[in-house]
Amino acid sequence: MDATTVLAEINGNIATVGYGLAAIGPAIGVGIVVGKTIEGVARQPELAGRLQVLMWIGIAFTEALAFIGIATYFIFTN
Amino acid sequence: MNDVAPADRTPTSNPVLRRALTWGGLLAAVILVVSSVLGLIFAGVPGLVSALIGTVMAVVFMGITSASILLANRYANSDLFVGIFFGVVLGGWIVKFIVFIVLVVVLRGVDWLDPTVLFLSIVAGVLASLVVDVLVVAKSRLPYASDVELPKAPSED
Repeated sequence: MDATTVLAEINGNIATVGYGLAAIGPAIGVGIVVGKTIEGVARQPELAGRLQVLMWIGIAFTEALAFIGIATYFIFTN
Repeated sequence: MNDVAPADRTPTSNPVLRRALTWGGLLAAVILVVSSVLGLIFAGVPGLVSALIGTVMAVVFMGITSASILLANRYANSDLFVGIFFGVVLGGWIVKFIVFIVLVVVLRGVDWLDPTVLFLSIVAGVLASLVVDVLVVAKSRLPYASDVELPKAPSED
C-alpha cells in the first residue's frame, strides 16, 4: 500500500484547515492587544480613553483578516 | 467624607468611537450603492442581493467592536467597570464571530446568491471600515491626560 495513503491521507476540503487558522490568528492577536491594554490602564488609569481608542483600532485591523479569511469559504469550493 | 457628587469617569474615547460609527455608516451607504450596481452588472439580481448582504454584514460586524466599547463605557462609574468592560467587548467579539461563521455556513448553499460577489463585497466593506477607522483616529484629538478630574466651577442649579 502506498505510504501516503497510510500515513497522510486527507479527505474533504483542505481549505477547512484555513478556517481554523483564520480563527486562531486573530484570537492570539486580540488577546495580545487586549492584554496590553489592561496592562497600560493598570499602570495609568487616566489614559484609559486613549488606550481604548488604540485598542479598538488594533482589534479592527486584527479582526479584518479574520473576516476575510472566514469569508473565503464562499469562494473556495470543492 | 465630603458630599460632593462622584466625578463622571466616562473615558474620553466615546466621541471618537461615535464619530467612527457615524462615518462608517455613511461610507457603508456609498459602498452599498457601488457594490450593488457592480453586482447587478456582473451577476444580475443574485449579484445585487449578494452585494447588499455582503456589505451590510461587513460593516455591521466591524461596527460591533466600537458599539460594544460604547456600551461598556456606560458602566464607567461602576466599581466593576474593568470586568464589565472587557466582558462586554470580548464577549461581543466572540458572539460576533460565531454569528458570522454561522451566517457564512448558512449562506453558502443558497442559490439566490453569487458567492464571488458576496466575498468581494465583504472584503470591500471590511477595507472601507478600516479606512474610516484610521481616518477618524488620525483626525481625533485626545488629550494625554484624558481622564483627569479637574475641579469644576460651582453651578447655580
